Amino acid sequence: MVDAFIPIGSMVPLTGPSAADGAEFRKGVILAAEEVNARGGLLGRPIKPIFADTGRQGAEDVVAAARTLIGTHKVHAIVNGYNIGPQNSEYEPVAEAGVIYIHANTLLQHHDTVMSDPERYFGCFMTDPADYWYGPGFLKFISWLRDTGQWKPSSNRIAIVSGSKPYSIVIAQAMASSAAKFGWRVCFGPELVQTPTSDWREALDAIRATKPAVIANTHFYSGDLASFQLQFMERPTDSLVYLQYGAMHQSFSDVAQSKGVGVLTSTVIGLLRDEMGRSFASRYVARFGEGSTPHIGCQSYSALHHYVLAASLAGGSAGPGGFEQNRKVAKALKAVIYRSVSGTIRYDEQWQAAAPYPVVSQDPSLGLPHLFFQIQDYRKPLALIAPEPFNTDRFVLPPWIDARG
Amino acid sequence: MADGDGAAETDPGRVFAGFDALPNGAAVWDEAGALLFANRAFRQSFDFALPVGLPYARFLTAVAASREWRLPVPPDIWITEQAAAFGEESEADYKSADGRVVRMSVAPIDGGGAATMLSDVTAAERREATLLAAKEKAEAVDEAKSRFLRAANHDLRQPLAALKIMIFNCMRETDDARRRDLLHGMDVSVSVMEDLLGALLQIGQLDAGRIKPRIATFQLSTLFERLEIQFRHQAADKGLRLRIVGARAAVSSDRALLERILSNIVANALRFTDVGGVLVGCRRRGDGLRIDVVDTGRGVAPEDQERIFDEFFRAADDRRLEKTGLGLGLNIVKRLSDLLGHRIQLQSAPGVGSRFSVFVPLGNVWHSEVVETEVNEAVAGEFVGAPILLVEDDDALREAMGQLLDRWGVDRRSAAGAEEAAAIVAGGFRPRLIIADYSIRKSTGLDVIAHVRGVSEAEIPACIITADAEPGVVERVRAASLPLMVKPVSPPRLRVMMHHLLFEQDPA
Repeated sequence: MVDAFIPIGSMVPLTGPSAADGAEFRKGVILAAEEVNARGGLLGRPIKPIFADTGRQGAEDVVAAARTLIGTHKVHAIVNGYNIGPQNSEYEPVAEAGVIYIHANTLLQHHDTVMSDPERYFGCFMTDPADYWYGPGFLKFISWLRDTGQWKPSSNRIAIVSGSKPYSIVIAQAMASSAAKFGWRVCFGPELVQTPTSDWREALDAIRATKPAVIANTHFYSGDLASFQLQFMERPTDSLVYLQYGAMHQSFSDVAQSKGVGVLTSTVIGLLRDEMGRSFASRYVARFGEGSTPHIGCQSYSALHHYVLAASLAGGSAGPGGFEQNRKVAKALKAVIYRSVSGTIRYDEQWQAAAPYPVVSQDPSLGLPHLFFQIQDYRKPLALIAPEPFNTDRFVLPPWIDARG
Repeated sequence: MADGDGAAETDPGRVFAGFDALPNGAAVWDEAGALLFANRAFRQSFDFALPVGLPYARFLTAVAASREWRLPVPPDIWITEQAAAFGEESEADYKSADGRVVRMSVAPIDGGGAATMLSDVTAAERREATLLAAKEKAEAVDEAKSRFLRAANHDLRQPLAALKIMIFNCMRETDDARRRDLLHGMDVSVSVMEDLLGALLQIGQLDAGRIKPRIATFQLSTLFERLEIQFRHQAADKGLRLRIVGARAAVSSDRALLERILSNIVANALRFTDVGGVLVGCRRRGDGLRIDVVDTGRGVAPEDQERIFDEFFRAADDRRLEKTGLGLGLNIVKRLSDLLGHRIQLQSAPGVGSRFSVFVPLGNVWHSEVVETEVNEAVAGEFVGAPILLVEDDDALREAMGQLLDRWGVDRRSAAGAEEAAAIVAGGFRPRLIIADYSIRKSTGLDVIAHVRGVSEAEIPACIITADAEPGVVERVRAASLPLMVKPVSPPRLRVMMHHLLFEQDPA
């Protein structure tokens, strides 16, 4: 019985440098599928996840995974977390087959690819906001700290270091271009540093000379960022330190330990600490054991639930070649505003990407919250300090900044 | 019909039933003021009992005590007045507690006594109120139109008269230089009229209540940027210094209307300043912000400081001769700031200068609308502004690749051949990346790359694209240590290649 279940593909790095995140994306899909099936499946049919390893996440790896899922397994949709590196090349097999593809690649180029040919890429969705939004979101965040008197910056100067991946470059440029609107002046950078790297001393020396009130590093590998922080702490300045995304990971604190306390970081898709978020986290840990990380698994988990809701509304899903039905599913994905455990996923009509709160939508019920964290105790979960109404903790001055200011 | 008359007289029960069926309330009182009859609708209008024989005065007291009707005078006075008027014809409307309007009509009965009628006139009242509002609005529009015409008459006459004279003179003028002067004068007169009509239109819209503010939170800096662009040249033409101090605050206002307020004040400041300059800046005041426009102009006399915001106000010593203000700018400022609830303050000393201040509430920076344009790779992608040289002899392909690079925000120059590429570089363009077709007329992409690198004296990253991957070509490209892409080149592959050549030391 080929038709007994609906095959849903998922492209996850189960080996290679991102295998830890890949494992969580896989768990998120499994848990969502189990919950959907326990409720009777997609219009009565159970869904079955099929995973394809994307290894080092290069374009060839991810395209091959997409082709296998579509060609061999005839999946109706591909739902996963992020893959760094395919640069949208995987959109081609998806577009040719006319299936639905939902990912959390966090890339601005998604907007351009989809908008360059909306007919062709009708099925491609990004379940989180583009990397670009980290820039203005971060500027709003530090301006909020300043304007509310939680922190008195030593100056209006901001130093920006970028890693060499497109994601880091786009964020660094977005920070730089938004700075002046909020009364900040870029005194250093955006300086591109070849990544991966564990040596930041040269860049840090140049940064220190500019006496910035804020230092932002948009590279995102947790180990590299831990090195950056340790080297910054060799001679700290009166600056807030913001480290892009990777500082969210436990592996960052494992290396930086107490020297990471005070560091700021953020994510445009994270797990909320409200009743919904906590309930999900406990189901996740109960299912996959202590040591599993629901705040990463939530990305693919929410995306799959959203897909099933939309496909049900559209009257069912379809495999490769089922353009007509899958267009209905795509239309339903845009119509169904879904309050996930990460906040609200509302696909922008043109971008086919989730709109962020509060940078694009000022209504928390219509945007996915850009969450800001601070490491306050490196042995405990990060403090969620912004934005309202999702924050659970308060900002504290980093220990290396002289409180007398 | 022998018993016809008898039938009409008999069966009062059917008569009463007929009265009960009426939607309006009806009651009959005898000459002594005792209740003879009240139909169902009348009884249902009150929550107290209405027994036959109830005295009219007691009925009035019960109505007042029920507080169901809003009485026009204190209850005891109302009772006395109504009781005294018993049996006389009267009509009055009362607003009831549930929002309806009840009309009570009293009519005398032949031979003594009275009949009372209650009717619900709520709908009719509403219609009347709507009509009244429409009438008032029409009158206001009419008044605005008259004012517009009066104002037009008042201020259009002068430039119009000047224009007529100049046209007349211009027709007979044979000297070219004087003719040009006259044409310039005509141009100025027309702009004055244009400005006047624009200002009058704004005032007309404000008067007609057609301008509805849309309050939002936004960064004041975005508005300051626009002011700078708008007035930079005007200030420079007059030899004045215009300084706009960067603002970091988020404010809560209507972006377009606040801009109109500030641009009117800045225009006014520039107009009345002959030496020195104009400074725009802001200061935090409590939980708000004070936006200042400071000039080193003529200043405003103390006695004029109130009236300066009036329509068509002009100072007595106003010696504007050329293209002058119309006395409407500050009136618009006043009307708009009233509409937005922003206080305006003027501090001025004749001969020293003025400071106009607008007080606006601060906004929450989280809610600041910073996204003004569509965000895409052309403005925010990784390749934005990267100088790239594209060499391709096929017109269609060059066009298509060029469009793709433009979409990514690249600072692109395209060349169809080696000579054109050489000319672009000779013109000073220094690419950070060269994308060249292998076989271009009379030479190869390898030659072009070598030439550009030579002129630039730099090992500029480059790649070769080719339609035929024959072994000889592959060999030559490899020998030059250049990456090779075979046509058709898909956007993702080109993107990956460009990224590595531009940003990574180790091309993948």
